[in-house]
Amino acid sequence: MKMDGMLSGVRVLDSTTAVAMPTAMHILADMGAEVIKIETPTREEAGRRDESFQYLHHSKKSMTINLKAPGGVQLYKDLVARSDVLVENNRAGTLDRLGVGYSELIKVKPDIILLSNTGFGQTGPWKRYAGIGTFLELITGVSHFTGYPDEGPRQVGNAWIDIHVAWMAVFSILAALHWREESGEGQHVDFSMYQVGVSTMGAEVLDFIVNGNIGKQMGNRHPAHAPHGVYPCRGDDKWIAIAVENDEEWRALLKSMGDPEWAENPKFDDALSRHHNQDEIDGHIAEWTKDWDFYELMHLLQGNGVIASVVPNTAEIMTDPHMNARGFYEKLTHSPESGFGTRVLIGRPWKVSKTPSRFRGPAPTLGQDNEYVMKEILKRTQEEIDELYEAGVLAKQAPRQTAQAQTQAAPARPRPGAANPAPSLEDGTLAYIDPDYQKRLGVE
Amino acid sequence: MDGSVFGKFRVVDMTSGIAGPFASKLLADYGADVIKVEPPHGDPSRQMGPFAGDDPHPENSLLFLYLNCNKRGVTLDVETAAGRKLLLDLVKTADVLMEDYTPGYLDSLNLGYSQLEEFNPKLVMTSITPFGQTGPYSGYKGNDLVYYAMGGMMYTSGAYHREPLKHGHPQSLYLGGIVTAYVTSAALFARRTLDQGQHVDLSLSEVMAADHYQPVARYAFSGGVTRRAPKSDTGQEKGTGFLGMVPAKDGYVRVSISPPQRLYSRSGPQPWPEYAALLGHPEIGEALAEATSTQEIDEILLPVIREMPKLEYYHRLMTNEWLAAAAQTPQDLADCPQLDERRYFTEVEHPVIGRVKFPGEVVRLPNSPWSLRFPAPLLGQHNRAVFCGELGRSKDELVGLRQVGAI
Repeated sequence: MKMDGMLSGVRVLDSTTAVAMPTAMHILADMGAEVIKIETPTREEAGRRDESFQYLHHSKKSMTINLKAPGGVQLYKDLVARSDVLVENNRAGTLDRLGVGYSELIKVKPDIILLSNTGFGQTGPWKRYAGIGTFLELITGVSHFTGYPDEGPRQVGNAWIDIHVAWMAVFSILAALHWREESGEGQHVDFSMYQVGVSTMGAEVLDFIVNGNIGKQMGNRHPAHAPHGVYPCRGDDKWIAIAVENDEEWRALLKSMGDPEWAENPKFDDALSRHHNQDEIDGHIAEWTKDWDFYELMHLLQGNGVIASVVPNTAEIMTDPHMNARGFYEKLTHSPESGFGTRVLIGRPWKVSKTPSRFRGPAPTLGQDNEYVMKEILKRTQEEIDELYEAGVLAKQAPRQTAQAQTQAAPARPRPGAANPAPSLEDGTLAYIDPDYQKRLGVE
Repeated sequence: MDGSVFGKFRVVDMTSGIAGPFASKLLADYGADVIKVEPPHGDPSRQMGPFAGDDPHPENSLLFLYLNCNKRGVTLDVETAAGRKLLLDLVKTADVLMEDYTPGYLDSLNLGYSQLEEFNPKLVMTSITPFGQTGPYSGYKGNDLVYYAMGGMMYTSGAYHREPLKHGHPQSLYLGGIVTAYVTSAALFARRTLDQGQHVDLSLSEVMAADHYQPVARYAFSGGVTRRAPKSDTGQEKGTGFLGMVPAKDGYVRVSISPPQRLYSRSGPQPWPEYAALLGHPEIGEALAEATSTQEIDEILLPVIREMPKLEYYHRLMTNEWLAAAAQTPQDLADCPQLDERRYFTEVEHPVIGRVKFPGEVVRLPNSPWSLRFPAPLLGQHNRAVFCGELGRSKDELVGLRQVGAI
C-alpha cells in the first residue's frame, strides 16, 4: 500500500454537523484517511456557505444521501459496508429510528467502528439534553474557575471546548482502530462531551471529594507562583504575559527591569512573600511595561530566562515570525465556484517526521463526490446512479431553510444568550477590520 | 477477546507536570504499559496541590494521583552516565518515548531521536515543548499563561475594558495532553504499514493557537480582528445582554431563550411566553415579549432567576429541549447524577492517601474498556521491578545506582 499520511487506507464516514465532530473529521482527513461527509439533500446544513465551514470541512469529500427517500437506507448501509469508521452526532436513539442504528450496521459490516457523539452520552438521566459547546463550558465546571477574581464566573467563548472534544474524539477513534487491529472487533463508542470536559477537572474534583474544597475564579493568577499576570504595553490594547516560578526567574526579571530600588525589600525576597504581596508587585511591573513595545519586551525577558509572551491579536499571531517559520498556518485554494480563492488556515499543532499530515483539498460542494463514491467505491452503473438522483436520494443541491427564515424576519429584538452572534465593528466585538489582510498573510 | 487497546505497547514517559502525564494517562487507562521516569527528586507535580487533607506530604498530591494511576514509576537521572545507560536500555524495549526537555537537550546527551532511532527503529518519540523543536522561539520558556497568550485565545477572552483573561485552571496543559495522546496513537497506528517509528514535534503554544479557529477563520476570510467582549448596551458587563451569565439563587446560570433547533437561526420572533412558562412564571411572558432593550429584559427576568436554584433552572429548560447551563462547581460534579449513572466515578486505594472516590472513564469503548488497574506510583516504587526484573540489573547494582545518584 502506498502510504500518504498516518491513516492512509482508512475510510471514515462523517455523518456529523456543528463544530466538534467536523473538526475531528478534518484532522483524520489531513492524516490521510478518506473522509466522506454524508449530507442530507433535504435541507442545506446551517452555515454551509460561511467561512467557518470552509475550515471545518476541508480535506473531505461530500456525498448526499436522503435516508427518508426509497433506497436511501440501503445506500447508506452499502457505504458503511465498505468503510472502517462512522461518526455521528445525533441525539441518542436517532440512528435507530432512521433504520441505521448500530445493530443494523453490524449486519452489513460486523467490525464497523461507530462513534456516537452526544452532549452527555447514550445513557443516563441527561442523555436527551442537547450538548452545545458554549453551554458545556459552564456545566463541565471550567467556568467556575474562570473569571476576574472580583466577579462571578465567566465564559471564554470561541467554541474552544468543541475543539478540545474533537481532539478526544480523534484519540477515541484511534483507540478503536488499534483495538480492531488487535482483535478484529469493531465497537460502538459512546462519546460524551460532558465527560471529556469533566476529565480535565480531575484534580479539582478530587480536591472536593477528599478535602471539601470547591475553588474559585483565579483571574490570570497562580495558586503558588507570583508574579503571574498580564501587563499593559505601549499602544492600544497591547499586553504582555509574565510569570515567575522561582527565585532565579525573579532575579532575572529584576535584572531586566534594571534592578529597581523598590525590590530591595523583604516583602519581595522569597516566593511566599511575593505571592502575598503580588498586588504591589503587579503595580510596579505594569508601571515598567507600559512604555515597552510588547514584542521587544518578550524577547528581552525570554533572553534573560523569564517566562513571558506577547498577547497577540489574531492578525498578530497569524503574522508572528515564529509561527510562520514553523509553517503553522497553511494556504488552501478553494474551488472557483466557492468564491473564496486562496486563504490561510490553521494547520496542526504538531509535526511528524516521516508521514506528514497536510490539507487534502478545500471543503467540498454539496454532493461533489457522489459520482466518485457511486462508481469507484460502490461499483454502481450510471443507470443506477441516475435512478437514485431521480428518487431524490442523491442531489447536488439542497434547499436553504435559513434564507426563507430571513425573508420572514421579525423586527430585530434583543436576544439573550445568542450563541456566537455575528461579530461586527458596531457592537464592539471586532477591534478593527484590516483591509490588507490577504497581503499581510502572503496571499497574492 | 481479552486484552486492551494499547496493551501491547510500552510507553517510557519522561515528561513532568500535566500535559505529558495526561497524555500517558490516557494511554495507560486504555491498557498501555507506561513506565513513568522521574528524576530522583520526583516529578514537580508531586509538589503541586491539591493535597489530600491539605497536607503537603511528598506522596499526597491529588493532582499527581489523578494524572499517574495505571503507570509504574522509576527514578533516573539523565545527567549521570549510569542513568543514561539505564534509559537507553529502557528505550530499547519501548514503543513510545515521551519527553518534554528543552529542544536540543537530549541530543546533547546523545539521546536525541536520530541517536535513539538507531537502537530502536520502531520507536515513536514524542517531544512536547512550549514552542516546538524549531523556529526562533524554540528555546523560550512557557507555561499555561504563555500558551493562552501566544495562542491568541487570551486576547479575545475576558472583558474589553479589562486585561485579557485565561482559563482559571491550567486547561491548556490538559488540551496539550489530549493532542499528544492522539498524535502518538496515530504514529503507532502508522507503524502497521510504515514499519518504522518517527519523531513527533508538538508545540503547546500551537495547541492553543489551533483551538482558536473562529477568530482565525474570521481574519483569514474577512480581515476582521476579534477582540474581547464589550459591555452590553445596558452599559453593564453582565446580564442577559452579555453572554447570558447571570446569578441564580446558589450560583450562576447561562440564559438562552432559544430551543436548540433555533440555535443557528438568528431571526424570527423569540418565544418569550413559552420560555416564561417553562420557568414557572407565565406572568412575565408578555412583558418580556414587549421589552425593547436588554436592560428591560434584565429588569423583568433577573429577579425571577435570582430566586431559583441553578440546577432547577437548568433542568426546567433542558428537559423541555431548550438550552441552558449552570456553572457547576467541583461539588456539583462529584454529586452529579448523570456521571453517577454512567459510573464515571470509581475508587482507588493509594498506600498513603487511602481509599478515594476517583474520576474515571473518559470515553466508553465497550469492547475494550477503560480500567483502573493500580494507583499512581510512589517515588521510585518500581525501580527494582523494572531495573532488576526487566533490564537484568542485579540487586547490588541497584544499590550502587542509588548511591551514585543515578536513580
